[in-house]
Amino acid sequence: MKIAKTAATIVVALSAMVCAEALTGRDIVQKEHDRPDGDTRSSELSMTLVNKSGNKRERKITSFAMDVGKDTKQIMFFRYPNDVKGTGFLTVDYDDINKDDDKWLYLPAMKKTRRISGKSSKTDYFMGSDFTYDDVGQRNIDEDTHKLLREEKVNGVDCWVIESVPKKSDEIFSKKVMWIRKDCLIAAKVEYYDKLGKLHRLLNVESVVQVDGFWAIGKMTMENVQTNHKTILEFGELKFNIPLDAKTFTVPRLERGL
Amino acid sequence: MIKEFGVTLLLASATAFAQESPFQFNGFVDTYHAIQTEWPHDFTTSRTRLRAELRVDYENAYLFASLNGIHNSILDDRTGIQLQEAYFNYSNSFVEIRAGRQIVVWGVADGLRVTDLISPVDYTEFMSSDYDDMRMAVDGIRIKYPGERVNAEVVYVPVPRYFQMPIGEDNPWRPDLPEKASFDFPEGPEPRFKNGDFGTRVSFFLSNLDFSISALHTHNQSPVTVAGYDPVKDSIVIRGIHETMTMFGGDMSMPLGEFVLRLEIAEYLDEALGYANNLDYARKNTFNALGGIDWYAGDNWTFMVQYLHKYIADYSDELAAEKNSSQVTFRISKELLNNTLKLALYGMFDIDNLGYYARVSGDYALSDQVTLSLGYDHFGGKRGQLAGYDKNREVWAKAKYYF
Repeated sequence: MKIAKTAATIVVALSAMVCAEALTGRDIVQKEHDRPDGDTRSSELSMTLVNKSGNKRERKITSFAMDVGKDTKQIMFFRYPNDVKGTGFLTVDYDDINKDDDKWLYLPAMKKTRRISGKSSKTDYFMGSDFTYDDVGQRNIDEDTHKLLREEKVNGVDCWVIESVPKKSDEIFSKKVMWIRKDCLIAAKVEYYDKLGKLHRLLNVESVVQVDGFWAIGKMTMENVQTNHKTILEFGELKFNIPLDAKTFTVPRLERGL
Repeated sequence: MIKEFGVTLLLASATAFAQESPFQFNGFVDTYHAIQTEWPHDFTTSRTRLRAELRVDYENAYLFASLNGIHNSILDDRTGIQLQEAYFNYSNSFVEIRAGRQIVVWGVADGLRVTDLISPVDYTEFMSSDYDDMRMAVDGIRIKYPGERVNAEVVYVPVPRYFQMPIGEDNPWRPDLPEKASFDFPEGPEPRFKNGDFGTRVSFFLSNLDFSISALHTHNQSPVTVAGYDPVKDSIVIRGIHETMTMFGGDMSMPLGEFVLRLEIAEYLDEALGYANNLDYARKNTFNALGGIDWYAGDNWTFMVQYLHKYIADYSDELAAEKNSSQVTFRISKELLNNTLKLALYGMFDIDNLGYYARVSGDYALSDQVTLSLGYDHFGGKRGQLAGYDKNREVWAKAKYYF
C-alpha cells in the first residue's frame, strides 16, 4: 500500500514536471491572464508620481470592474487632485484582438461625456504616470509573441522569465521581459525596452496580497529609467465578487459619479 | 439673498469635513489678466475669482451649490458674489431628478452650438474664460432615465436666460457704436408659463456608435439686434430681440481607429434673424450641421477640427446673414513632462466674413494644486465681430489654485 502511494506520488510529480516542461511562453502568459480574480472587483488606487528631483504628485482613484464573458468592463472615478475630481473613465476591454476597446471620458468641468478612441490611447501615459493605458487595462495576450527564456528566483520566489515582443510596430516598446511568479501567477518585475532596444521602464511589484482567496498586487512601482521619473501604485480596499450589475458600467453612471 | 446664502455656505464649509463626512467642500482661486499688445496697451480683462463648491450627500440624494466671489478691475458690475449653480439631485436605478440652478449640456460639438441650446453663454468678456466657465446655469428641472444602453431625459426651464453680451460702456469687448447709441438687451423673457423652455433628448451608447435625438422649444438666446430711436434719451437704441423657436436635432460620435467622428444636425423652426439694415427682423427655418474629427495621434498629441454650416430656407436678400454661412474651428494640443505641461493652439475661422481668432497657450501644473498659464490671442480678418476685435490682440496670464 505504501509502495503504491509512493509510486502514485512519483507519477503525479513526474507528470507535473512533464507539464511544466511543455509549457510555452504563451501558456504561462495565458495562465497569468486567467488567474482567478472573481467576476467583479473594486479597489481604491493611490498613485504617487515622483520626478527626478523628488517632487511628488498624487492621484486617487476608485475603480470597479466586471467580467462579461471574456471581455472586461471597468469604470474609474478620480477623487484627487481637485482639478480632476469627478472625472470618470469607462472602458470595455474586448478580448477579440481585432476589436478596439470602447472608451468614454466624463469631464465634470465641461459637464460632458466624450467618446474617445479606443486604439491610440492605449499607448499614451495614464494621468501623467509612467503606466500606459495598456498597462492599467487588459492587454490581449495575442498582441505579443511570447517566449520562455528561463526560470530563476526573484527575492527567493521561483519565476518564469518570459520575453514578449509586440506583433505590431506601433507600440511604444520593442519588447518586454517579465518575471512571473510560479506561486501566485503575478509578475514580480517587468522590463520594458524602447524601439532602440534600450531599457526604458522597469516595473517592480513590491507587495502581493491574498484577499478572499484571490491573489492581487498590493503595491508596485514603475520607473522610467531614462527620465528617472517613477510612479508608485498602491491598491487599497481590494474586494472581489462584490454585487455589481451592468448598470454600474454605463455612461449615465459615469456622469453621476461616486 | 445670494450673499446670505454664500455666507451660510462658507460657514458650513468651515466646519471641516472628514472623508467619511457627507459634506464635500472644494473650489479654486484663479486670477486672470490680459493686456493689449498694441497701443494703448490697456487691460482687456483683469479679474480674480474665488469658486466655492459644497456638496451634501444623504443616501440617494445630494445638494450641490457653487458660488463665485469675483473682483473685476475692468467691469465694476461684475464684482460681487454670484450663484453659479445650486440644485437638489436624487437618483436611483430608474430615475435621476435634478431641480434648481444647473448647467445643461447637450450634443457632441466642442465650443459650438447646434443642439446645445439650453444653457446660454456669457460673452461679457468674450472668450477670456474657458468655455466651460462661460456656460450659464438655468433654473429648471431635469428628469432622466439612466438605462444601460439608453439614456432618456426631459428638461423644463420655467424662466430661460439669454446670452450675456459685452454691452457695458466700460467693456473693452463692446462693439463699436455710433455716438449717443445705447443697448437694451433683456436678460430673459417675462416669467410666464408659456415662456418656458422645454425639451427632451434620448441617447444611445453602443459598442461602436453613440447617438442622440433631441427636440427643444426655446428662444434664440443670442440677441437679434434691431435699432430704434429713444426720444427720452435722444439716442439710438439697439434692442435685443428674442423670439421662441423649436429645434429638432440629433448627434452622433463614432470611433474609427485613432479617430473619432462627430456629427450634429438640427432644424430650427421660426428662428429670428436680423435684417442687414438693422431696422427689423424675420423668422425663418434654418438647417444647422456640424462635422468634426478628433485624432488621438498617440504620444499625447490630440488634433481636432470642426466645420459648422448654417442654411436659411426661404431666404430674403434683406437678411444680414448669408443664405449659407460657415465656420471652422480647430485645436491642436500636446502634453509634455508627464502631463505637467500642456501646449495648445486653438483657432476659429469665420469663412463668410474672413475673420479669425487664434489662441496659443501653455498650462503648467506647478503642483497638484497650482496651475500657471500663459497665452496670446490674435484677432483679425476683413469684417465681422472677430475682425473688429483686432485692437484687442492680447497676451494673458492666469494662475489657478485648487483647494
